[in-house]
Amino acid sequence: MKTTITICAALALGSAGLTAQTTSTFTNFIRQVQLPSGVQWDVSVAATGQQQSALAINPGGARFELWTVNSSPLTNYLLDSKYVGSYVPIGQVVIRSEDPYATIPRTRADRPFYVDLTVSGLLTDPTAPAAAKSVNFMHYKQSYGTGGTGVGLDRTAATLISTASIAANGTQTLTYSMTALTGTPQTKVRGEERFSLYSLDDYQAPADLLGSLFIQIWPVADGTLTGITSGQVVRFVAPTETITLNDLYPKSTTYCQIYKGAASLGTVGTVVPGSSLVLNETVPQSRVLTLTNWDKIFDADGLWTLELVTSTPFGVERLAYVTFTLDRTIQVNGNVTTISD
Amino acid sequence: MNSFLLFGLVAFSVPLASQGEIAAGAPMRDAATHEELAARAASAKDPTATMTQVVLAADPSVVNKPGDLLSRSDILCFGEYATLVPKLAILHRPKNLESRIGFQTGAKIQVFSEFLAANRGWISTVEVSRAQAEGNAPLPVDTEKSISKSPYIIVATYQGGPISMLPKKSPPAPAEAPTRKP
Repeated sequence: MKTTITICAALALGSAGLTAQTTSTFTNFIRQVQLPSGVQWDVSVAATGQQQSALAINPGGARFELWTVNSSPLTNYLLDSKYVGSYVPIGQVVIRSEDPYATIPRTRADRPFYVDLTVSGLLTDPTAPAAAKSVNFMHYKQSYGTGGTGVGLDRTAATLISTASIAANGTQTLTYSMTALTGTPQTKVRGEERFSLYSLDDYQAPADLLGSLFIQIWPVADGTLTGITSGQVVRFVAPTETITLNDLYPKSTTYCQIYKGAASLGTVGTVVPGSSLVLNETVPQSRVLTLTNWDKIFDADGLWTLELVTSTPFGVERLAYVTFTLDRTIQVNGNVTTISD
Repeated sequence: MNSFLLFGLVAFSVPLASQGEIAAGAPMRDAATHEELAARAASAKDPTATMTQVVLAADPSVVNKPGDLLSRSDILCFGEYATLVPKLAILHRPKNLESRIGFQTGAKIQVFSEFLAANRGWISTVEVSRAQAEGNAPLPVDTEKSISKSPYIIVATYQGGPISMLPKKSPPAPAEAPTRKP
């Protein structure tokens, strides 16, 4: 059976942070492995784009592997692989989250995400081989560890959570209300979950990958305000305020705001100049900011609330707050006495 | 009694909208806590619970993981550059060029076409068919002769891409004619 397929080279998958590369030290290769013969053929590819495979696929199918090779030190990374063939079902995995970041699906430890599984090419003929009638769905999880970012992760060490069989063509959506990663504290888990569709073992080829995608799970940010304490009466000059920020979401804006009165969630206040931190990164960030001479922002004495707020693709959240009393009024008690002769 | 403020009024303030990404209209909430998430995790349902569960003898992501690309490749290297070709793609290795097979530290990996264009002085290619690569068809005798006599390293290619050449399969032995006893 002569079949050609389109090779998409723009596969931003695999090791976290690794995508098809064109930098000075990374070179991309697509290797087509014919099954069951084992003939291997290399196709040179750019970082993005698509091209037809000129090597016809045998009835046993072929595996397409996307690799990027680093020259110094000489290392190679498997970014993605796909098994295709004339009689092999087609499987596709799409992961959706609230974060529109396009390079790698990602979300936060407390947020839901959705996995769309699309399978086509399954046969209903009862006499057809098992590999033509169903595929296996696998769900893996793998922690990055404390402070980890997934770089250099050995993905064969991932934990298989569940395996299910899909025997019908079509698309189904799996809704995950939150990550399957667990830890203490649960807010600080970080890692990835991989969803894969595999063909079944067959007399012509072993179980091979039809489609796979992973989603990165990043921790919930936290922060503290140090300087003013709750209930403090601030006289004259406000003390230097230290803002400690941990695990800020890679795409986020974090800032302090003040408003008059007691703490009230949802109040829109005035952003303290110098307190804003805009991030557009690939991994969470931790920072320490210092506010000095920031009390010019107060326009009256009384009860005030200072809030630390972060805005992410998941909404606006309060990380910390402190309520204090500002009393910068000097009362002069005196009298004027006139003495006359 | 007199009173006065020690400090001036608001020097300046920054509107929220100028701070970049702020989810419009989303109600503010407190960041999730460990207790909340632990309770949610405990009650979370696996969406695959309604699917047909399967128990596999082995995890295919482990047992069928593609081998390392470098271990399945030969490296051609000269000067500052190197390239990969699948093992069994090099059809001829003249002894005086053996030193150019293998990676030399510091070389930069190029795709085969770029490397070939710069090294045609010692690398040549032979276009083969799929059947020949699979060992199902022989190379023409003249081609085999010229390969064996070439002073160049010869790489098998298919449509310009290096391809492994499996050993030629020997034709099945003809069935023996039944012998008739006298």
